[in-house]
Amino acid sequence: MLAYSLPSDISPSTYVNAASLVRIVALGLISAAAISSRLFAVINFESIIHEFDPWFNYRATKVLASEGFYEFWNWFDPTAWYPLGRVVGGTIYPGLMATSGVIYNLLHALNLPVDIRNICVLLAPGFSALTAWATYMFTKEMKDESAGLLAAAFIGIVPGYISRSVAGSYDNEAIAIFLLMFTFFAWIKALKTGSALFGTVAALFYFYMVAAWGGYAFITNMIPLHAFVLLLMGRYTSRLYVAYCSWYAIGTLSSMQVPFVGFQPVRTSEHMAALGIFGLLQIVAFAQLIRSHVSSKQFQDLLFVSVISAAGLGMAAMVLLTYKGWIAPWTGRFYSLWDTGYAKKYIPIIASVSEHQPTAWPSFFMDLHMLTFLFPFGVLALFRQLRDEHVFVIIYAVMGTYFAGVMVRLMLTLTPCVCVASAVGLSQLIDTFVDPREPDVEQEKEGGDAAPSKQAAKKEKNAAPITGVGAIDDIVSTLSGASSPEKDKSGKTKAGIFGLDTRMVVLFNTAAMLLFFVLHCTWVTSNAYSSPSVVLASTNPDGSQHIIDDFREAYYWLRMNTKEDAVVMSWWDYGYQIAGMADRVTLVDNNTWNNSTRLTAGCAAHIATVGKAMSSPEEIAYPILRKHDVNYVLVIFGGLIGYSGDDINKFLWMVRIAQGVWPDEIQEPNYFTPQGEYRVDDQASKAMRESLMYKMSYYRFAELFGGGQVMDRVRQQQLPKQSPTLDYLDEAFTSENWIVRIYQVKKEDSLGRDLKSANGFAQGKKRKRSKPPVKRRALA
Amino acid sequence: MLLPWLALLCLSLHVLAAKDSAREQLVQLASKNNGVVRLDEKTYDLLTSPDRDWSAAVHLTALDKRRRCNPCREFDPSWNAVAKAWSTVPRSERDNHFFATLDFDEAPTVFQKLGLASAPVVYVYPAAEGPRRPASGKLAPYKYDFSHGFDAEPLASELSRHTPVPIPYKAPVDWAKWGTFAVILVSGIITLRFISPVLQSRWTWAIGTILTSLVMQSGYMFTRIRGMPYTAGNGQWIAPGFQNQYGQETQVVAMIYGLLAISFLMLTVVAPLQKSPQRQRMQIYLWTAVNLIIFSVLVSLFRTKNRGYPFKLFL
Amino acid sequence: MAGPKASSTAARPASSSSAGDSSAIQSLWRTYNDTTPSRLKLVDCFLVFLMLSGIAQFLYCILVTNFPFNAFLAGFGSCVGQFVLTASLRAQVNPENRAEFKEVSPERAFADFALGSIVLHFFVFNFLG
Repeated sequence: MLAYSLPSDISPSTYVNAASLVRIVALGLISAAAISSRLFAVINFESIIHEFDPWFNYRATKVLASEGFYEFWNWFDPTAWYPLGRVVGGTIYPGLMATSGVIYNLLHALNLPVDIRNICVLLAPGFSALTAWATYMFTKEMKDESAGLLAAAFIGIVPGYISRSVAGSYDNEAIAIFLLMFTFFAWIKALKTGSALFGTVAALFYFYMVAAWGGYAFITNMIPLHAFVLLLMGRYTSRLYVAYCSWYAIGTLSSMQVPFVGFQPVRTSEHMAALGIFGLLQIVAFAQLIRSHVSSKQFQDLLFVSVISAAGLGMAAMVLLTYKGWIAPWTGRFYSLWDTGYAKKYIPIIASVSEHQPTAWPSFFMDLHMLTFLFPFGVLALFRQLRDEHVFVIIYAVMGTYFAGVMVRLMLTLTPCVCVASAVGLSQLIDTFVDPREPDVEQEKEGGDAAPSKQAAKKEKNAAPITGVGAIDDIVSTLSGASSPEKDKSGKTKAGIFGLDTRMVVLFNTAAMLLFFVLHCTWVTSNAYSSPSVVLASTNPDGSQHIIDDFREAYYWLRMNTKEDAVVMSWWDYGYQIAGMADRVTLVDNNTWNNSTRLTAGCAAHIATVGKAMSSPEEIAYPILRKHDVNYVLVIFGGLIGYSGDDINKFLWMVRIAQGVWPDEIQEPNYFTPQGEYRVDDQASKAMRESLMYKMSYYRFAELFGGGQVMDRVRQQQLPKQSPTLDYLDEAFTSENWIVRIYQVKKEDSLGRDLKSANGFAQGKKRKRSKPPVKRRALA
Repeated sequence: MLLPWLALLCLSLHVLAAKDSAREQLVQLASKNNGVVRLDEKTYDLLTSPDRDWSAAVHLTALDKRRRCNPCREFDPSWNAVAKAWSTVPRSERDNHFFATLDFDEAPTVFQKLGLASAPVVYVYPAAEGPRRPASGKLAPYKYDFSHGFDAEPLASELSRHTPVPIPYKAPVDWAKWGTFAVILVSGIITLRFISPVLQSRWTWAIGTILTSLVMQSGYMFTRIRGMPYTAGNGQWIAPGFQNQYGQETQVVAMIYGLLAISFLMLTVVAPLQKSPQRQRMQIYLWTAVNLIIFSVLVSLFRTKNRGYPFKLFL
Repeated sequence: MAGPKASSTAARPASSSSAGDSSAIQSLWRTYNDTTPSRLKLVDCFLVFLMLSGIAQFLYCILVTNFPFNAFLAGFGSCVGQFVLTASLRAQVNPENRAEFKEVSPERAFADFALGSIVLHFFVFNFLG
C-alpha cells in the first residue's frame, strides 16, 4: 500500500504552513543563486559595463540621472553620427533607462548614495531574480507550486538567459525577459479567471515591455495567436473575450505612448494580427449573444454566413490597405525570420551581425543542457491535460524553437518556454515516483497476467501497519491533493509504482541529472558568458592570468590627449564604446541595426561612406576624411596577439556595404587574389594592399620582428618584410598589444602640394614630371 | 600611279570587311547556338580583339564531368537562359553585344593566359572602339561576382548595366511548382473530409509539435540556410567547429533527443500502468539505463564539438 | 472595430428582406425584451451609445480629416476601450454566465471595470495631446 512510511501525527494546517515556508525559502535560495551566478565578471575583473550596446544605454542613463527626465526625453546628441546627430529621445526604448533612473532616485531618497554605474551593472542580476519569481508564478498556473519551483530554479541558472543578463550586460533584455514572463503570467491569469483586472495588469506590463525592448512584437503576436487557436479549437468562452479585449484595448493605446513606437500598432503588418483577432472576437461574441436568444435554425444559418462574410470582409480590407501602402508591410528585421535568404541579399548590415546567424545544435545544448530533451517530454505532458493555458505554452514552444533555430539571438526568447515545459515534465516524473502509494493488488484481478500471490507477499514486506490506516489515508489524501491530478482522474490506486528500489533508482538518477545541470550551467557561465569583451584575459606560461586592457588604454588615451571636439572615425562596432569611454564625437555607431526599421538614406550612406574610406587607397579616402572633419581614425588589429575579432576579419563586410552604394568604385572580387583567396601576404591583391584598412593595420608591423619572419597570428600568413607606408595619416597611438591603433589625419600641405609628393620630397625623391617641360623657342 | 591608292583602298575595304566579317562570324556563331557563342582559342581572340566595337560577356567554365565542377553545372542553365533572352532583342542592338561560353577542355591556354584557377568565371569586356567605348578609358574586363548566387535574375540585372539595352529576361513560370500546388490543394480538400477525425485528435498535433521542436533544436534551419552538405566529402559526419554542423548530425541529434524524451515518457506514463511488479521494475531499470547511456553519448558528442568541455558521463 | 459594427447593421437589412426572417427578428427582439433584466438593458444602452460615438468619429476621420492623428486615435480608442470593458462587465454580471466566472463576483466585476476605465482614460488623456 505504501512504499515507505509517512509520519502519522501531522495536522493538515501544519503541513500547509510548512509547505509555504519551504517554498519561500526555496524561492529565496533560487534568487540568491540567480544573482550570484551572474557576478563572475564583476569578481574576476571589475564592475564595468560590457560589450558595445550597453555603453550607449549607460551614457543615456547618466544623462537621465544627472539632468532629469525632461532633459533625457528631449535629448539631441550631436556627438553621434557626426555631422547628422541623433535625436535620442525619439529613437530609443526608454524603459531600461527609466528603470535605472527610478532605482537611482529611490536609493538616493533613502540616503544610500549608490553610484549610477553600479546600478547599471547590477540591474540585470537583480531583475533575473524577479524573472525567476515571475516564472514560478507562471508555471504555478500551468501545473502547481512544485513545478513552479523547478521552473524558477531552471531559469535562474540556465545559460541561455544568463548570456544576456550577466552583471555588466546593461542591455534591454536585462529587464525585458522579466516583463515578458510577467505579462504572460497576467494574461494566463486573466484567461483563467476571466477578470478584467488581470487583463489591465497584463496591458500595463505590456506597456512597460513596449517601452523596454523591440522584441515586444513577440507578445503582440503570441497572445492573438493563442486566442485564435482557442477559437479554432472551439473553446471560445466569455472569459477569453474579457481577457483579450481588455488587454488589447488598453495595451495598444498605452503602447502608442512610447515615441519610438508611435503609430506603428495601427499601421504596420506586425500588429495587424492582434487587431484582426480583436475584430474576430467581437464578431464571435456578438454571434454567441444573438444565438442565445434565437432558436430558429434558419436565422442561425444566416447568422453563421454573415459572421463568416464579415470576417472575410475585414481580412480583405486589411490586405487592400497593405497593398495600397497605408499599412506598412513586414519590416526587414522580422521578414528575414521567414524568408531566411532575404537579409544576405538585400540588407547586408543585418546579415553581418554575428548574433543573426542561424543556430547549430551545439549552441542549443550549451545553452539549455538537459532541458533540450526534457522539453519535448514536458510538451507531451501538457498535451495530456490540454487546458486553455497549456495551449499557450505549446504554441510558444513551436514558435520559439523555430525562431531560435533561425537566429542565435532568439535563443533568449525560447529559454523561458523551455524552462516551463521541462519543469512541468520533470515535476510530473518526480510526483509519480515520490508518491508513496502503491497500486492495490485486489483491484487488478481484471488485469492481465499478474501473479496475485507474489504481489501479496511483496505487500506484506512493504506494507505500513494496518492499524493506522485511517489517519494515513487522511494524510495521504492531503498530500496527494496538491500533486498528480491525473492519478485522481484515473482512479485512486489504479496506476502506481511498486517497490522502494525503483523509486530510489529513478529519484537518484533525477537528482544526479539536476546536479550535472548545475555544474554545466556554472561552468558555461564562468567560461563563456562572463567576459566583459572590453577587457580580455589570457594565461601566462606560468599559469597566472594576464589581463589585456588595450581597449580601455586606447580610449583613455583618446580622452586625455585629444581635443574635446575631435572627430573619430572607426567601424560602427566601436562607436558606442568610443562615445562612452573616450567621450569623443563619432561618425557611425552601433545604432545601425538597432534602428534598421528607421534607417534613413543618410544613415545607410554614412556607414557605406566609412566603408568606402576604409577600403579605398589613401588618395581617395583622404578627401572623404577631410569632408567629414575626421581628426582621428581608429582600427582594431589582432595580428600580434591573435585576437580574431579585428577589423581585417570584418573587412569584407565593409567592402560589401560600400559596394552596395558605390558598385562602380568598390568591387568585392578585387580584394581577393585571382584564385579567389583572401590573403594579406605578398600575394594580396592590389586593391587590398592599397586600402586604408590594410595600411593602417600593418603599418610598422614588420619592425616588431626585427628582420625575421613577419607573422600575422590571426590569418596565419607571413607579411612581406616591408611594411606599408602612410602618406596622409600619422600614427598617433598604438596600444600595448597593438590591438587598438589610432592615426591622426594630416592637414593639407601648407604649400598646396598633394601629401604624397610632399612626403616624397621630404624623403629626397625627385618629383616625376607629369607634363613635358615647356619648350621655349628663342624669339629670334 | 593609281596602283598604291587602289591598294590602299582595297586594304581599307579589306580591313573594314574583316571587321564586319568578324562581327558577322560572331553573329552566325551566336545564332547557331541559341545566342551563346561557343569559343575556342581563335574565336576568343576574335571576340576580345583590341579593335572590337562590340562588348562581350564571356563565361569561362569547365563542364566536363571529369573536372567535377558542380558550381559550373549549376550556373550553366542560368547563363544560357539569359543569353537566350538577349537573342530576342532586335538585331540592331543585339549584334553590339555577345554572350560567349568558353569551356576549359576546348581552350585551356585561355585559362592559363588569364591566370584562372577556379570556375565558373564571368568577364564582361567593354567595347574598345566606337561609340560604346567607356569614357573612363578603362578597358579591363569587369568580373561578375556571384554574391547573389547562380540565379539568372541577378545575373541579368547585373549584366544589363553593360549591355546596350537592358536584357529582357523574364523568369519562366514554374509550371511544376504551380501544378504541384494545385494538385496538393485539391487533394487536400478532398482528403480533409476523410482525415478530419485524425486532425481533430490532439495526438496528431502532439506528434507534429514534438517532431517540429526536435527537428528545430537539432539545428535543421542551420543546415538549410547555410546549405551544408549531408556529410563531408571524406565521409566525416561531424563538422569541425562549434558553430558548424552537417546534415547527418541533425538526424543523429534529433534521434538522441527523441530517445531521451521517450525514456522519460516511459518512466512517467507507461511504467505506472504496468500491473506486474516485475515487469514494471524491469521497465524502470531498462529505461533509466537507456536514459543514462544515451545522455552519455550526447555529452561525448558535445565534447567532440566543444573541445574545452570538461564534463563526461560514462562514455 | 468598424467591422463588427458593420456586420450587425448588415445582418439586419439582409435578413429583413425575407418575410420568414423578419419575424425572426421580431421574435428575437421580443425574447430579448422579455428575458433580459433591466440592469443589463441599461448597460446595453450605454454600449449602443459608445458604438454610435465611435462610428461618428471614424466617419469624421475618413470624410473630413485625420489630423491630428493621435487625437483621433485617442478618442476612437477611448470609445473602443470603454465598449469592450462595458461588454466584459455585462458578460460577467449576466446571471446566465455564473458557471464561467467562478472567481469573479458581480461586485468584483464592477471594481475591475472601474479600475480598467480609469487606466484607459489616463492613457487616453495622455495621448490626446
